[in-house]
Amino acid sequence: MSEPGGADPLRDLGERLDRARRAQQVGGESERDQGLPQGGLAFALRVGVELVAALAVGLAIGWGVDRWLGTRPWGLVVFFFLGAAAGMLNVYRAVQSSGMMGAGGETAHKPHGDRTNEDED
Amino acid sequence: MAANKTSPLEQFTIHRIVPIHIGRLDASFTNSALLMCIVVGLVVAFMALSMRGARLVPSRWQSMAELSYEFIANMVRDNAGAAGARYFPFVFTLFMFILFSNLVGLFPFSYTVTSQFIVTAGLAVTVFIGVTIIAFARHGFHFFTFFFPEGAPVIMAPLLVPIEIISYLSRPFSLAIRLFANMMAGHIMLAVFAGFVVSLGLFGVLPILFDSVLIGFEVFIGILQAYVFAILACLYLNDALYMH
Repeated sequence: MSEPGGADPLRDLGERLDRARRAQQVGGESERDQGLPQGGLAFALRVGVELVAALAVGLAIGWGVDRWLGTRPWGLVVFFFLGAAAGMLNVYRAVQSSGMMGAGGETAHKPHGDRTNEDED
Repeated sequence: MAANKTSPLEQFTIHRIVPIHIGRLDASFTNSALLMCIVVGLVVAFMALSMRGARLVPSRWQSMAELSYEFIANMVRDNAGAAGARYFPFVFTLFMFILFSNLVGLFPFSYTVTSQFIVTAGLAVTVFIGVTIIAFARHGFHFFTFFFPEGAPVIMAPLLVPIEIISYLSRPFSLAIRLFANMMAGHIMLAVFAGFVVSLGLFGVLPILFDSVLIGFEVFIGILQAYVFAILACLYLNDALYMH
């Protein structure tokens, strides 16, 4: 006896769920385009860490090469510059993927390009 | 770390609770290990208890568990695509472990395991090795083209390839340093301001006020850093799955 009354609210609920899900999808898209949604300070910290980490790895490799081949100090010198370059590359990529470079730089980033054709089923 | 009781660094000391020595290896059960066990237990308890008797209209605890699940599920789908969904359990575990470590560490007399570099480095290296293995398994030796940017002149290879390799190797470092530095800096700041309370006498109210604001900020940082760690793991996964 409650069946006609019961089916309608359920369908209504289903429609509302669909609508909410679509709205969420759209919201997620626009938020994603801005990359990591964080404050400026957190982003600055992230970029700083990227720069220093690559430099540290470069120095560690240089030190290891020197120890291994006995070429002190040339390995350290060469890998210091390579590490610095890698750090700048990291920073460049981090800024690029964050969308902080404006419209021009964003299309060049590969995860974005991949995402648009790979995901979305 | 040799620090006396009043040092702000005292909170990071590791002490053995149950000394275990296997040969020359010191495998003692420390306060850090104890807290990690507590964190794992809490995560399991949170997920299991809040999903017990799951209903269509969720209770408060259930909706918290579902919220965290959906949050990570969306993140993995958005950042690593459909193929990345297979690795959702790993990312979710990673996120929950870091989140609970950060939050549990804020309780008095507790210990922040993520302020220990070896812990964050362990997590980051796990992600790094896993992602590299996935990339190899999916792309084979095509993986090495990752280290040479498309369209660059071949004559530049001796310069570009080492730079790209260093950039790739720096990933676990930046992951580990970011989490560890954020947690450690926050806790040192709390301890330094708490140290002012006694010496300032009546004006010690001010550092207490500041510390209570800072605790709120630390909760935010703890959640944010867990999120950042997980999303970067997803981005690295994305790189491994869909190489150019």
